[in-house]
Amino acid sequence: MKVGLMLLITFGLYSSASYSEMNHAGMRMGEWGMVMHENISQLPQSCAKIEGVQDVTIKAGREYAKKYPGTIFGYDTHEFSFPKCTRINFTFINEDNIRHQFMIHGLPTYLHPQGMFHMELYREGEVKGSFITPNSEQTYLAHCDVAQHMEKGMKAQVKVGGGSGNLPSIPGISGQLNQDNYGFDFGAINIALTIVLLLVGFVFCMFFFVWRNK
Amino acid sequence: MKRFSVVGLVISVVTLSVIALFLYDPYLLYARFYEYTGMPGYQAAPPAQAKTDIGKVTICDEQYPEWRKAYTVGGIKIQASDACNPDNPYEVAAFVRGTNNVIMPVLMRTQLSDDAVIKTNDRDGDGDPDDIVIRVEVAELNGRSPDGLEFIPGFEIAPGIRPGAWVFAPKSRGMSTVNRQDLNANRLLRLPSAPIRVEAGDNVTLILENTHYFPHTIHLHGVDHSYSETDGVPQTSEKMTMPGEQHVYKIKPRHAGTMFYHCHVQVQVHMMMGLQGLFIVEENKPNNWVQTFNVGAGKVRYPSVGVKKEYAQEYDLHYQAIDTSLNNLIQTSNDPRQLAKKMNRLYDITDGTDDYFMLNGRSFPYTLRESLITVEPNQHTKMRVLNGTPEVIALHTHGHKATITAYDGVDVNPAAKITRDVYSVSPAQRIDLDLYTKDDGLHSYGDGVWLMHDHAERAITTDGIAPGGNVSQIVYRKYLNKNAMATLQGEDVSPYFSPEYYKGNLPSWSAADAFGFFDDVGGRSIETYKDVLLVIVLGMLIGVLFLLLNVLYSFLHETSVKLKKRGS
Repeated sequence: MKVGLMLLITFGLYSSASYSEMNHAGMRMGEWGMVMHENISQLPQSCAKIEGVQDVTIKAGREYAKKYPGTIFGYDTHEFSFPKCTRINFTFINEDNIRHQFMIHGLPTYLHPQGMFHMELYREGEVKGSFITPNSEQTYLAHCDVAQHMEKGMKAQVKVGGGSGNLPSIPGISGQLNQDNYGFDFGAINIALTIVLLLVGFVFCMFFFVWRNK
Repeated sequence: MKRFSVVGLVISVVTLSVIALFLYDPYLLYARFYEYTGMPGYQAAPPAQAKTDIGKVTICDEQYPEWRKAYTVGGIKIQASDACNPDNPYEVAAFVRGTNNVIMPVLMRTQLSDDAVIKTNDRDGDGDPDDIVIRVEVAELNGRSPDGLEFIPGFEIAPGIRPGAWVFAPKSRGMSTVNRQDLNANRLLRLPSAPIRVEAGDNVTLILENTHYFPHTIHLHGVDHSYSETDGVPQTSEKMTMPGEQHVYKIKPRHAGTMFYHCHVQVQVHMMMGLQGLFIVEENKPNNWVQTFNVGAGKVRYPSVGVKKEYAQEYDLHYQAIDTSLNNLIQTSNDPRQLAKKMNRLYDITDGTDDYFMLNGRSFPYTLRESLITVEPNQHTKMRVLNGTPEVIALHTHGHKATITAYDGVDVNPAAKITRDVYSVSPAQRIDLDLYTKDDGLHSYGDGVWLMHDHAERAITTDGIAPGGNVSQIVYRKYLNKNAMATLQGEDVSPYFSPEYYKGNLPSWSAADAFGFFDDVGGRSIETYKDVLLVIVLGMLIGVLFLLLNVLYSFLHETSVKLKKRGS
C-alpha cells in the first residue's frame, strides 16, 4: 500500500537534513520540497474500487523547452491520459537547480483541498506522489506555478477517461488564446511561395471573369 | 443655364456661410458689432457633465489587522506596526531565526520555502549565528499570459495601475498567485525587491536561483565583496546566471552600512524593471539576530541591536520610478525572444521618460496603506533611503529637518553632519536619516500629519496626475485612527482610491467642490431660436454643397463622354 510513498531522495547542500521531513495538515514538507494534498487510498465517489495502478515519471526543466520555440521551461510530457478510478503514482524529477512544481488543479475538493494535488522540488531532485483519478471524463490543468513558468512552457493537461477536450496553450498540443504577433519572414523560400500563391489567386480571378464574359 | 446655376450655387454658399457665422457668433465677423445691435442677450454657459460614479472605495484594504500588534514568536519580540497592511510577524520571525530554526506551524503561516534563510554556527560565540545562507528568486509581476488578457501574477502599485516589473524575492513555496481564481501575486512577490540584512563579519552565502526567463546576476553595490565570481558583472567577474541555474555569492562584509544590490545584466533595463534592493550590513554586536528580509521594505519590525541602541524604530525607504514604455513591454508578447529584442535593442532609455514614482513599491494613495512613518514626540527614527530611480531625488520632509548620518553606508563625521529639509540623493545613492521628533522649531515643528515626498514635482504625480507618485506622510501616532490611517483635516482622500481618478476621469477637486465650480463642462446644446436657425442654415449649406458636387460630377462626365466621342 505505501510502497514508494516515503521514498524521498534529496540533493544539495543539506541532504543530511538538520531536521527531518515533517507532516503537517496533510502535507509532506522538508528541505527538498513538498507534496501537498495527495490521495493514496481514499476512493473517489462512484468508484466501486481502485481499478488499477499506473506509474508515471514526469521530468521538469529547461531542457524540455528546446523542442518548443519561445518557451524557456517545460515538462518531458505535456499530456497525460489516465483511465478512471486508477491510482497514479507519479515520480516527479526536477532537472534544474531552481524550484519547479507539478500541480494538478480542479480535482474533487472532498479528496484534495482547493481541488489541488501539488508536488514541488526546491532544486534538482526527485519525489513521489499519488492521486486517484475520479470517475469522470475531464481534462485537468497541470502546471508549475512559479511566476511565469506556466506561461513560458511548464503547462500540461491530464485527461481522465478520455478527457473533455484540450486546454489552451499546451506546448505541442494547443494554441494560445491571447496570441503573439510575429512579423513576416522575408526569406527567399517564403517570398517565392507567397508570390506563387498570390499569382494562383490572381489567375483564378482572371479566368473567372473571362469565362463569365463569354 | 448651367453657368448661371453654378454662379447661383456659389453665391448661395457664401450667403449661407455668412448667415451661419452671424448666427454662431457675429463678433467673429466684426468685433465691435454691439455698437450697432446693442449688447448680446445672456446665454447660460453649458451645465456640468454628470459626475463619474466612483462607487464605494476601500481606503484600508486590511487583510490581517491582528498582525499590527506586537508579537513574540519563537522568542523573537516583534515590534508593533501601525500600517494598514503590516508585515507578517511569522515571516519576520522566520527571517530573524532562519527558516531552519523555526517550528513548522510558524513556517506554515508563511509562504517561505524551508531553505529560504538558513542560519547556523555561532562562530564567534557572541550569541548569534554567523553562517547565513540566503536564497533569492527572480519573479515577474504583471506579466503576459497566453491564456487571457489579465496580467499575471498581478500587482497594483496604485488604483488600477499594473506596470510590468521584475523583483528579487525570498525563496518561496507554493503558488505565485493567491489561488487559481485570484491571479494577484502572493504577499512575498511584490515591489520593491526585498531589502536584505546581514551582520558585519557574517559568512554570507547569497544564492541567486534564477526562476526567471532571462539571465540575471547580483551586483553587491557598496557591500564588501571580492572580485572573482562575486561582483555580478557579466563582462568582468562571472558568467550570467541563465534561467534554471543558480549562482552562489560568498561574502564576509567587514564594513557596516546601508548598501545596495541589483542585477548587472543590461542594467539600464533590468535595474529599471525592478531588480534592485537595499542591502544593509548591520554592525556586529552580541546577540544580534538580524531580520534577513524586510518584504515590501518600510518599517523594520525587528531592528538590529546597533540600531535599537540609538533609535526607537527603523524604516527602509526605497524610491523607484517606472517608464511604462519599458516596463509594459513584457505585456506585449509571451515569446522571450521578442521581449529580449524589444527591451535590449529597441527600447532606448535615452529617450525614456518616467511615468510612475513609487515609495516601497507603491504610489500614493497606496503608500498610505504601508508606508506611513508613524512617530511619537521626542523620538529618534532611523530612515534608510535608497534612490533607485534614474534621476536625482529631492526628498522633502514637511515639518521636520532630519540629520543625514551616513552617505553610501559611511558615517558622516559627527561635526560635519548636515540637518536639512530637502535631501538630495543621487541615483543608486543611499543616505541614513535621523528623524528626531523634538518640537524645537528646528528638528520638528510639532505634532501633526506631515507630508513626505520627492520635491522634483513630476514625482508627486502618477503619469502626470496629482496627488500620486511617491507622496507619503509622517504621522504622529495620536492622529492615527482605527483604520490605520491618519485622521486628516484636509480634503476627503477617497476619490484617490478610485482607478477613475488616475485615468483622469474625475475633476481634481471634486470631493471639495460642493458648488460644482470645477466640474467637467458639458457641451453646447440647441436651446435658443438662434441655435435652431443655425443648424437649419448649416443643413442648407450642406445641401447646396451637395448640388455643387453634382454639377462638378456631370461636368466631368460630359467631358469624358466628349473625349470618348472625339476618340472614336
